[in-house]
Amino acid sequence: MSNTSFAVEARQLSRDYISANRSHLVGKKVTTVIRALDHIDFEIQEGELFGLLGPNGAGKTTTVKILCTLLEPTSGQAFVKGYDVVKDAARVRRIVNMVAGGERMLYYRLTGRENLEYFAELYNVPKREVKSRINTLLELMGLVDRADDEVEKYSKGMKQRLQVCRGLINDPEVLFLDEPTLGLDVNIAKDLRRFIREKIVEERGKTVLLTTHYMYEAEELCDRVGFLNKGKLVAVGRPDELKRKMPSGFSMEVLATRLTDEVLQGLRQLEPVKKALTTDYEGEIEGEKIDRLIVNINSDRATPEVLNYLSAMRCRVVSVNIRGPTLEDLFMFYTGE
Amino acid sequence: MALPLGNGLYLYFLYLPFAARSVNLEFNAAWYTLDLVGFTLIGQLLYTFFTMMLLSGNAFVVEREQGTLEAVLLSPANRIALILGGALAGAFNYMWFFFGIMFSWVAFLGVQMVINDFLALAASIVLSYLSMVTLGMCFEALFVYSRRGHMYTTVLQEPIMFFSGLAFPLQAMPRALLSISYLIPLTFGLLSLRLTLLGGASLIDVGVPLTVLASMTLLFLALSTWLIGYAERKAKAKATLTQF
Repeated sequence: MSNTSFAVEARQLSRDYISANRSHLVGKKVTTVIRALDHIDFEIQEGELFGLLGPNGAGKTTTVKILCTLLEPTSGQAFVKGYDVVKDAARVRRIVNMVAGGERMLYYRLTGRENLEYFAELYNVPKREVKSRINTLLELMGLVDRADDEVEKYSKGMKQRLQVCRGLINDPEVLFLDEPTLGLDVNIAKDLRRFIREKIVEERGKTVLLTTHYMYEAEELCDRVGFLNKGKLVAVGRPDELKRKMPSGFSMEVLATRLTDEVLQGLRQLEPVKKALTTDYEGEIEGEKIDRLIVNINSDRATPEVLNYLSAMRCRVVSVNIRGPTLEDLFMFYTGE
Repeated sequence: MALPLGNGLYLYFLYLPFAARSVNLEFNAAWYTLDLVGFTLIGQLLYTFFTMMLLSGNAFVVEREQGTLEAVLLSPANRIALILGGALAGAFNYMWFFFGIMFSWVAFLGVQMVINDFLALAASIVLSYLSMVTLGMCFEALFVYSRRGHMYTTVLQEPIMFFSGLAFPLQAMPRALLSISYLIPLTFGLLSLRLTLLGGASLIDVGVPLTVLASMTLLFLALSTWLIGYAERKAKAKATLTQF
């Protein structure tokens, strides 16, 4: 057991997948090593909702599987509530649970209630609590009316909600959510996100590790995020903190007249301006054509300087819109996708 | 039901031109004259159960395919309990079948049962069951490790059918091959069940096969305990746990 106050901790965690194939029956075996995780370090505080973001194949699911003891790391260590996920796997399994996106991990020929009863048994939930816990979870996820139907008759959204019930059946201290809203309707996904934030994290104080490649989901839910790219953890921090660190983090969209090449050249010479370009815009004012100007600036405080310059160059500014970087911008910045 | 009954009758009619209604079985320097139909049907009945136990790991194949193996192994549930549960589910299903077949032999095929020691018969049934259930647990562990568990188990079926003395008395087996027969729990299950159900053998008469069955049960239980731990560790290291 590690002396740590973190709920989850990964130290130099790596995982290789080795595949061996023969070109034909008696051909030479060719071994390929794919590094899914490359010495990643991160920690998650108690009661925190941490998002692990990255494109497909970045190593998100591998990380989750290692942390919930379904996969062994090739090297490095990981701890959940201080317990080593390899050496103390049995203890870790008692305090974690995992919900994966998609329609697996459920018994289709059992009813929703029977599924939960079975998993309650596997997790040694005290007999006297099983019934009330199942009812509470079914109620929370809006499945009471269909609890006694076979899962094969459920819609995709209902299966996913039942998965969340399964994930909470042992009242885990740490919950791993691997793409939990994958393929869900907008409304159901939104309800599920609200449930995760309000009921699991805020009300029950659970620690949650969420993997997703929906940036708006991470933006809406996560206290902190980590960007995984090709097995490497390229950035970790609070979304606002990471946004501040991002070069050319702010964009100005200016609708103005007389945006000549000369004006643009001059604009690019200004110190806070990283990029400036014009795009087509259908509109005119008092006979003059309006263009759209996009200016990347390193701080929103640079706005007056840009506007003063445009005014000095006799451009007529019609509107100005400034937006900070989104998580999607960060995603693109860190992963290059 | 069709398998042991159909195959048993097939063997019976195969013997019919060469023998009468009985078969002589030598065991422990004693000769027993057993009902031929009963002899062949016991062989098939126990072999079907044995095959069922060999393939009980199939449940894990289904679990692997539907993604529930991951969910089950994510839980802190006792692994021995999991594989024992899988094997016992098959065994309980088979119980009614076993007694149903026995009843139908007497009622419809006129099998001459000679039972002198019910304790010996009960011990034969229970220990045959337990030894095969625990062997089934060992094979289930293979299914946790690899999705090719089928391959390992099906390849064993035919040799076991031959070496266990399912279709013929063991004294007909060449001596050099008998040592292989004695490695198979089915051999001792068949011996003790045939002798106690059809030959009127007592607990002392079948003491040796019963002791071997009890020892094999303990050995397989210990082996399955080690194997399931090993299979799970290996599957996690090689990332084969969730492949399907």
